[in-house]
Amino acid sequence: MKEREVIIIGGGAAGLAAAVACKQKGIEDILIIERGDYLGGILQQCIHDGFGLEKFHTSLSGPEYAQRYIDQVKEKEIPFLLNSMVVNLTPQKEVVVANSNGLQHYRAKVIILAMGCRERTRGAIGIPGARPSGIYTAGVAQELINLKNYMIGNKIVILGSGDIGLIMARRLTLEGAEVITVAEKLPYSSGLSRNINQCLYDFDIPLLLSHTVVDIEGNGRLSGVTIAQLGKRGGIIPGSKRKITCDTLLLSVGLIPENELSREAGIVLDNITGGPQVDERGQTSVPGTFACGNVLQVHDIVDNVSLEAEYIVEGVARYLEGKLIKEQEIKVELGEGLRYVVPQKLISRKDTIFSFRVNQPGEKKILVFEDGKKVIKKKSLRRVNPAEMVRVKLSSSELEGIKRLKVRLV
Amino acid sequence: MHREFICILCPNSCRISVEYEGTNIKNIKGDGCPKGKDYVKNEITNPLRVFTGSVLVESGNFSLASVKTPVPIPKKYLKEIGEITHCLKMKAPIKIGQVVAQNLLGEDIDLIATRKVNIINK
Repeated sequence: MKEREVIIIGGGAAGLAAAVACKQKGIEDILIIERGDYLGGILQQCIHDGFGLEKFHTSLSGPEYAQRYIDQVKEKEIPFLLNSMVVNLTPQKEVVVANSNGLQHYRAKVIILAMGCRERTRGAIGIPGARPSGIYTAGVAQELINLKNYMIGNKIVILGSGDIGLIMARRLTLEGAEVITVAEKLPYSSGLSRNINQCLYDFDIPLLLSHTVVDIEGNGRLSGVTIAQLGKRGGIIPGSKRKITCDTLLLSVGLIPENELSREAGIVLDNITGGPQVDERGQTSVPGTFACGNVLQVHDIVDNVSLEAEYIVEGVARYLEGKLIKEQEIKVELGEGLRYVVPQKLISRKDTIFSFRVNQPGEKKILVFEDGKKVIKKKSLRRVNPAEMVRVKLSSSELEGIKRLKVRLV
Repeated sequence: MHREFICILCPNSCRISVEYEGTNIKNIKGDGCPKGKDYVKNEITNPLRVFTGSVLVESGNFSLASVKTPVPIPKKYLKEIGEITHCLKMKAPIKIGQVVAQNLLGEDIDLIATRKVNIINK
């Protein structure tokens, strides 16, 4: 059994930023374990620009953003394994890795979970109909087109208005395909407004809100889909069904944090985020095991993933120094208007960044933090949208002496 | 004339409400930062976008190098530049920022690489 101070599972945006931050904190004995054959994770296939505005104050493409961290990892001589899959993780922080050298066993003082997320598939949303080829999740299509040089189709319908679907609508158009429409089940888009503007409207691609795919046809290859309009309660509006001839269907219908390993290690998960329940520094229910990035909660901006990774490393460093002292534990209670909050609990009263997603779009809202009847902090939000994560920092002086903590949107 | 714009320059996606005549902005609301006004000015006169795409690479550890225009270009050229990238080919190794093509369409449009590609010996 090989011993390491910190093992980071995943070499994507979160894992790389966590590794660099660990080294900057003086932690020397780090190992990044990556299952793919390159570092950078999903960033390598996100060739569009718009990354890094907050972190680097310039607009970068995904590979450029990743390279900034990869360069630092190499410069700081942080060890990493590629083509190496963690197949087992225990509460004792033992890690079993499978790669071309067989199985290797490690034990770490700290584990940082940075496995990212995966896409929901056709099976997850239960679209009826035939089972032809030509149905891809948006991220897989992105990988095939941007990394493998494989064009996926010519006449395309996209279901779901998540950001990857929107980005792919533009990408496919610029690659010469015809994107017929983007259908979204909800009455509002689940992607960022700027992506609707520059990826759909720029190319006159219609966005059909409150629409979904209700049937799939095709023998061998997809030959068409039927879309229908949904009423206020989500039922199909009679007479609204319409067949669209196409050869490809892209699904951009949500992301699921990849927590099979966490579950095996007995880590308590949050039913809503799909990620581990954590304290204010990203520590899970297993002491010394931390989580950051999309495995903790799905982010819409990579800069926030890097910032979150750097932020939880504060906790990692304190844990290794034996200074992560547990004061009275408080559960963060969720009030109206909000879908989730991270962290789910506080074990100290140090400065804490809270992340939220709201239930539905709205304007002129106020986020209220309360200790019983006492208001601790209020934050006004000009516009809220479930597609956009809200991040708010509470200082140690604001949190000092609180008995309870409830947050709600009014 | 009144129109609402969604600024694409950052994830804030500001909704900017503009009163204008021809190319003359008379009243502007909702621009969260100074870039908003410039964005709207361009949208009214000559909308600009950064092109991103990819180019085939020989003997690299990635088979495609991602590319972009170093500055935003007129939106009307995006599709044509996309077609051009299909015909380009590069050889590994490739550095980020390396010039891939210059003065495309005679419009002073350049492409630079945005992915580091290492050489592999097969």
